[in-house]
Amino acid sequence: MIRLSRIREVLRAIVRSLDPSDDVDEEIRHHLDEVTDALEAKGLPRDRARREAEQRFGSVRRHRDALVRLNRRGETMRRGMETLRRVWGELRQAARGLARNPGFSLGVLATLGLGIGVNGAMFAVTDRLLLRAPDHIERPDEVHRVLSLRTGDDGAPSYGASMTYPDLDDLRTVSSFAAAAGYSGPRTRTMGTGAEAMRVETVGASHDFFSLLGVEAALGRFPSPEDDEVEAPPTAVLDWDFWQRNFGGAADALGTSIEIDGVAHTVIGVAPRGFTGVDLSRVDVWIPLVPYGMLQWGRYDFRESRGFWWMRLVVRVRDDARLAAAEEETTAVHRNARQEQIETGRYDPETRIVTSPLIAARGPLASDESRVALWLSGVALLVLLIACANVANLLLARGEQRRREEAVRLSLGISRAGLLRGAMMEALLLAGAGGVLALGLAHWGAVVIRDTMMPDVYWAGSAVDARLAAFMAGAALLAGLMAGIGPAVRSARADVAIQLQNGGRGDAGRRSRLRNGLAVAQVALSVVLLVGAGLFVRSLAEVRGIDLGVDVDRLAVVRLEVEGASSMFGQESEEERVANTALYEEAARIARATNGVQSVSLTMSPFGWAFSAGIRVPGLDSIPRLPGGGPYYIGADEQYLATLGIEVLRGRGLEAADRAEGTHVAVVSETMARELWPHEDALGQCFYHGEEEDTPCTTVVGVAEDVIRGSLQEEAHMAYYVPLTVDGPAPRGLYVRTTSDDAADAASALARPLRSFSPRVRYASVQTLREALDPQARAWSLGATLFTAFGVLALLVAVVGLYSLLAFDVANRTRELGIRSALGASKRGLLRGVVLRGVGLATAGVALGSVVALTLAPRVEQLLFGVGARDPLVLATVAVVLVGAGALASWVPGLRATGVDPMEALRAE
Amino acid sequence: MTPTPMGPVQGTLELLVLKSLQARGEMHGFGILDWMRRTTGEEIVVEDGALYHALHRMKKRGWVSAEWGVSDKGRRARYYGLTDKGRAALTEEEARWSRYVAAVARITGAEPA
Repeated sequence: MIRLSRIREVLRAIVRSLDPSDDVDEEIRHHLDEVTDALEAKGLPRDRARREAEQRFGSVRRHRDALVRLNRRGETMRRGMETLRRVWGELRQAARGLARNPGFSLGVLATLGLGIGVNGAMFAVTDRLLLRAPDHIERPDEVHRVLSLRTGDDGAPSYGASMTYPDLDDLRTVSSFAAAAGYSGPRTRTMGTGAEAMRVETVGASHDFFSLLGVEAALGRFPSPEDDEVEAPPTAVLDWDFWQRNFGGAADALGTSIEIDGVAHTVIGVAPRGFTGVDLSRVDVWIPLVPYGMLQWGRYDFRESRGFWWMRLVVRVRDDARLAAAEEETTAVHRNARQEQIETGRYDPETRIVTSPLIAARGPLASDESRVALWLSGVALLVLLIACANVANLLLARGEQRRREEAVRLSLGISRAGLLRGAMMEALLLAGAGGVLALGLAHWGAVVIRDTMMPDVYWAGSAVDARLAAFMAGAALLAGLMAGIGPAVRSARADVAIQLQNGGRGDAGRRSRLRNGLAVAQVALSVVLLVGAGLFVRSLAEVRGIDLGVDVDRLAVVRLEVEGASSMFGQESEEERVANTALYEEAARIARATNGVQSVSLTMSPFGWAFSAGIRVPGLDSIPRLPGGGPYYIGADEQYLATLGIEVLRGRGLEAADRAEGTHVAVVSETMARELWPHEDALGQCFYHGEEEDTPCTTVVGVAEDVIRGSLQEEAHMAYYVPLTVDGPAPRGLYVRTTSDDAADAASALARPLRSFSPRVRYASVQTLREALDPQARAWSLGATLFTAFGVLALLVAVVGLYSLLAFDVANRTRELGIRSALGASKRGLLRGVVLRGVGLATAGVALGSVVALTLAPRVEQLLFGVGARDPLVLATVAVVLVGAGALASWVPGLRATGVDPMEALRAE
Repeated sequence: MTPTPMGPVQGTLELLVLKSLQARGEMHGFGILDWMRRTTGEEIVVEDGALYHALHRMKKRGWVSAEWGVSDKGRRARYYGLTDKGRAALTEEEARWSRYVAAVARITGAEPA
């Protein structure tokens, strides 16, 4: 109860500060009472005492009013309230006006909602990628990435992010940097073993990485320098969400031990929620860099060697240091440290060290996805422009209908400013409501784009946050202004006399020129969007249609993580080799017995792995160097070519007998055959595989078609297949060919048995080739999907705009059409008139849009694949679609024009 | 001839009010007026309304606080008190007043040449 009375008191205080007259009255009354009492006590009768009191006070009335004025807190506030009240009234009037015309209002609302919504959705994505530094970083402007920069033979700059551990030591000596740190990853590793094993994303980070960024552990601590040393007991810091998921967010997770790739790590801390370091992808476990290096390389050489390019560097620049000077200094240190390599010709002496922005998408190594996302944001803006043009057009049309009403209001004394405000209010109200609608759309759109197009990015938090809401409010306001200003000014300029005289038809010619212009602009912008969509769709089709040489849809690749296996190639002991070979052969047996599996092949080079040993060819001084590198060799069994669907063009494939000790045969790729023996048959030729002098010559027994090594965009390279011999290295993976066209089912059926058949297998990864390749096509699929979505949206809006323009004109020209009909104009002629006008507008838009598209297109060229930026097919298709849509949009109004009854039309006057 | 009561010298009403509040603590308007009248032996008479102007002006400046309370006669009355800002202002006003008085004294006390 006390609280209730307190609230009442506060409310009263607020009311009184707004209106102090009660306070003043009461105070004056009290004063007069006291004076009266005092005078009465001196013997004056009560009524005389009262009069005397009032007289002494001076003029009560005057003082009272003056005091009230004095106390009225902020005259401005009162005026503000008044304005607010007036605006509120105008808003209500605008809302009433819109409610009277629900079809119109809903149309405008939907158009603006879509226009603002797509911008919101794109903002939710680009804000994370491009505008905002990764979370939890203090003073992010000071933090920079460190890259190497080389100039290629063609003069093109080539940036590299990979550095060696000694490079980090070098950076720490550079005086311009307040701090330097290194990290490596994320890399998927296995936590636990066998059936309970799970995949975790790990990053190795030097102990100063966290202090450099200024991030504090949410629980426990980040690694200390002692944790980041050779032979330090392995420690780990958990990601917040990972900790929540797997440890229930319990504080006693600290001190527990987790096994990562077979090594026990003690949990020493939990990172704050949403911390992803300087990149944006999800990290489950942070490990100090030196122990992480041990995990990766199995030895500590990387500490001193300048040959392990496995980590990236970040620095915090002193606030008084100039970047250019810092780069100069770092480059000098870098070159100096590699003096020996440079002198022996093993390192490019022109290599420079440069800094690049913390926000990766702003730097030279921005991902294709982020580049596409930036374009799409521009596209979203175009959609909004189209929407605004459309709404402006609709408002103009409506304004014309209301011309007479406005003229009457003007003549009744409403100010032009009032009329302008009213019209603006209407537009802003529509935009505001559209914005609310858009918020839902933006949320949905952002979630879809995030999950399907950019699954690698760790999207902490909801898509809709304060920044997005603020952005959308701004977009709505802008849209309201853009759409509303033209029509509002028009309505305020109305000439009363003319309007009243001719029944509101006014200077229709001028107005319709503006509206034609808007319609043409809409069509033109749609052309630009649809051309973009066409280019990306064609790119995606090209990407999908690449002849990879292997049957991508029917293949899965299996890799076993074996307990105690050294990860370095060629380091295994004889014992290990035999045991691992047996393990893979057992896995192959299990796979063959699984439903849906057609064939299985053992290989030394599972997808994405190829080895290069150097070859010599008798009679050739040197081996041609191809842009794709190589020659690469693939150690495989006799099932390999058939399982992958690689066609043998000449000769034979590998056979079981080839695996016997001492056979030296190979199947070479088409390119290799052509490059090495351009003038003779490759079959029967021989070459020396490996650089050792005493190996016998390997005979070419077959020529196979070219295939990719592991990525969609590959340049030509040579490859050859050698048998996985009984005494050679152990297999490192299996290919599984499925009977169905979708390997996914078989892959998931395989995962369980392969993860539990041997205690030595820590984890078995089973991935379809599609899954492995899809991320590479993501930029194009992002571009194709969203460009198309936005393009179709734009097309729809533009068509509706065109339609409404013509429909409105027909409705307005009822009298004229009636007269022409009465004078004998044919229905066909009337229809043709309207349709031709629509097609004319559409054609003008197409022409304008094509010019814009042709000008802009080259700028997206590097994001396209296998299609020129000025692809004539795309342009022609878009032109036909739009002109066709224009014809369609004008057909209905055209039909209505033919239906005008002359008598009806004339009588209406 | 009995001296007629004076109004306060221009600009000193605020000083008088602040000084009263300093001397007597929280008071309502009538209390202040009454106290001033009695203390000066009715030499200085302030128009009642003007007092309230001064009080409300100072309230706005933050020199005095105002709080509704109940007087010893059981009436709702608005009590004024000195704030820190008011105390500082009082010191300043007093100094100014002293300088003023001294200056006036030097003129009025000057010997004719």
